[in-house]
Amino acid sequence: MSGPYGPYGPPQGPPPNGGSPYRGQPPVYGQPPVSGPYGPRPPYGPPPYAYPQSPPIRFSQGTHRLHWATAPLRAMAGMVVYFVLLGFPLLVALGRRGEGFRLTPEVIGIFMAVSGVAAIVMVVAGVWGWLSLRFRIDGDDLVVERGVLRRNVRRIPLSRVQAIDVVRPLITRMLALAEVRVELAGDAHSEIALSYLGRQSAQQLRAELLAHAAGLPGHTPEAPERPFWRVSFGMLFGSLVLKLPVLGTILLFLSSLLFLLVYAEGAMLAVAVPALLGLLRGVVAPLVMYAGYSVATSPDGVRLRYGLLETRMQTLPPGRVQAVRIVEPAIWRGLGWARLDVTVAGYAGDRQALSSVLLPAAPRQVCMMLVAQVFPGAHVDAVALHPASAKGLTLDRADGAGTDETVFVSRHGWLCRNTDVIAHARAQSVRLTVNPLQRFLRLGTVHVDAPPGVVRVAAADRELGEARAILESTAHRAQAARARGGDKARWAR
Amino acid sequence: MPGYGTPNAPGRDAGMPHAGMPQGGPPQAAAPYPQDARYPADHAFAPGGGMPWAPISPRYVWQRRVTAVVWSVVAAAGGGLLMWFGGGTLSAILWVVALLLVAVLGWVVAQLAYRSYGYAERADDFIVTYGVFVKRLIVVPYGRMQFVDVSAGLLERWMGIATVRLHTAAAATDARVPGLPATEAALLRDRLAQKGEERSMGL
Repeated sequence: MSGPYGPYGPPQGPPPNGGSPYRGQPPVYGQPPVSGPYGPRPPYGPPPYAYPQSPPIRFSQGTHRLHWATAPLRAMAGMVVYFVLLGFPLLVALGRRGEGFRLTPEVIGIFMAVSGVAAIVMVVAGVWGWLSLRFRIDGDDLVVERGVLRRNVRRIPLSRVQAIDVVRPLITRMLALAEVRVELAGDAHSEIALSYLGRQSAQQLRAELLAHAAGLPGHTPEAPERPFWRVSFGMLFGSLVLKLPVLGTILLFLSSLLFLLVYAEGAMLAVAVPALLGLLRGVVAPLVMYAGYSVATSPDGVRLRYGLLETRMQTLPPGRVQAVRIVEPAIWRGLGWARLDVTVAGYAGDRQALSSVLLPAAPRQVCMMLVAQVFPGAHVDAVALHPASAKGLTLDRADGAGTDETVFVSRHGWLCRNTDVIAHARAQSVRLTVNPLQRFLRLGTVHVDAPPGVVRVAAADRELGEARAILESTAHRAQAARARGGDKARWAR
Repeated sequence: MPGYGTPNAPGRDAGMPHAGMPQGGPPQAAAPYPQDARYPADHAFAPGGGMPWAPISPRYVWQRRVTAVVWSVVAAAGGGLLMWFGGGTLSAILWVVALLLVAVLGWVVAQLAYRSYGYAERADDFIVTYGVFVKRLIVVPYGRMQFVDVSAGLLERWMGIATVRLHTAAAATDARVPGLPATEAALLRDRLAQKGEERSMGL
C-alpha cells in the first residue's frame, strides 16, 4: 500500500482522483497537496477533523456507537418474542371467551392496546440499548462503556486478543449489518460482541483492531491477503457423507424405510426418525455451516470465511492457534483427505464447538501446508514417530509419538486416525500420568497441555523410563522454543 | 531412543542448589543436558538431578483423616437415621458398615496420599508429583504460570496448613501442593510469583 504519500496512504481528505478539488490535475508526487477547498492544510499530523461524508470511519479517534439500525432491529426481535410468548396466546384466549373462536372488534381492540404498550416498551428498550453502548480505541486498549445512568467501563488490552470474528446472521445480511466479536483468553464471558455495525465499518473496525493488536498505528490499511484454499461444495458434501457412522446411519434409515413401506410396520418410525434427525445434525447442519469455506493467509493471520445462511469471517492472528488435530476417518484416508481441528484460547464454552474447525475437508497435503502456516517451521510428516508400547491396553489405540525442535506430534485412533500437533512454544505444562492398569504394565502417558479445547495432546502407553525422557525433553524443548520465539503478542513489532 | 535427545538448552537441574528448601537460591546456568541420558523405569517419578522431593507437612495426613471421618459420620448418621425411620433396620446397619469401611479406607489412603506428594523447584520449572491411584508428575515452566494462589479451608487454617495451586492457561495442568505449613506456603507462592514474573511469556 505504498502510494505517493508513504506507506499509509494520503493522510486525510478525499482521494486525489475521486474528490472534486483534484479532478483534472494529477497530484504532485512525493508532496502532500498544498491547498484544497478548505484552505491551506497543515503539512503533517492528525487531520483537523473528519469530513462528514468520508465513508471510512476512523475508530482510532473519538467514541463510537453501534449502527442506528440496531435499535429498530432489537425492537423487532423483541416484538417477535412478545407475539410468540404473550400476544398470540392472548389473542386466542380472548377470542375463545364465548363459544367458538371469534374476532370481535372488542377483542382486536384489547389486543392492539396491549401490543401497542409492548411496542412502546420494546422501542424504548431498543433505543436505550443502542444509547448505552459506546466504544473507543484508547492507546492500545479497546474501551467498551455500557450503561446510560450507571456506567460500566471495560478496558481490553488489544495485545491479548485471540481472534476477531465478523459474523453476519441471515437478517443482518439483508440489512448490510454485521457483528464484530473480539475473543480474549479467559472464561466463557471474556468475549466482546459489538452487534451490530454497518458492514463497511465492521470491516474497518476489524482492520483497526488487528493493526493495534499487532502494534502498528491504527490507520494502517488492512493487510493484504493471499487466497490459500477453497473447499468446493462437492468435496464438503462428499467428506460429510463418506464417514463410516454416517454411511451406517444412511443404511439404517433406508432399511427401516423399506421395512416401513413393505410391511406397513409403523414401529419402524422409531428407528427412521432418530436416524433422519442424526443425519440432519451430522450432514446437513455442517453442510450449511461450512458451505463456501475459504482460507486465506495474510500477515495478520489466517482468515476463514464460511457459512451459507449465517456468514462468518474469522481472523486468527499469528501465534493464537494453540494446538491442531489432523483427523482422517477411515474412508478419507483412501482418498487422501483430512480435516483440521484447532484449539484457539479465546473460544470458550459453546463458541468453542462452533470455531474448532480450521479446514472441514481438504487433501492431506493442503492440511499439512496450513499446519505449517499456523506453526511456522513445522513439518509434521517429517517428524519421526516412535511406536507406542505393544503392551498398551486402551480403547483409543495409541500409535506413536515424536518430536522435533518445533512441534510435538502424537497419533492415535483405530479407524479414524488422529494426529495431534502442538508447537513447543505453545505448551503450557507437561504431565506424566500412570493409571492403575498402566502401573501393572509399567507404562505411562505423557500429556502436553494446551488451553482447553478440542485438541488434547498425549503420548499414551510409553515405557516408564521412556515416558520420563519424553517429559524432560519436551519441557526443555518448550523452554528453548519460548526463548527463541519471544512474545508473539505483538506480531508486527 | 534417538528421537528424544534434548536441544542444547541451559538450565538443567544438575548443578542446582536445593531450591526446594525454604532458603532457595538463584537459578544457576548448569551444564547442558547430556544427549544420551536415559531414565531408568524405577526412577521415572524421581525428581532427578540428585534432588530430593520436598515433602509436605505430616499434618496433612490428619487433615485428610479428620475430613474423611467427619464426612462419613455425618453421612452415616443422616442416612442411617433416615433408613431406620423408614423401617429398614438391616439397610441402616449395612449403610453404617459401608461408611465405616469408607472411613477406614480414607484413613489408610490419607497416609499413602501424604507419602505420594512431593515438589521441587528446578531451574526453569516447578515439578509436583502426587496421586495414589493415578500417579502424576507435573512439570510447570515458570514462564507459563498465570497466577499462583494459596487457599486454606477452616480445618486447614486451624491446623496451620495451606494449599498452593499453580494455574496456567491449560485447565488440565492441575498442579497443587496441599498441606504446606502456612508460612512456607506463602514463601513458596512469593518465590513462584517472582520467578513467573521474570520469565512471563504471555499465552
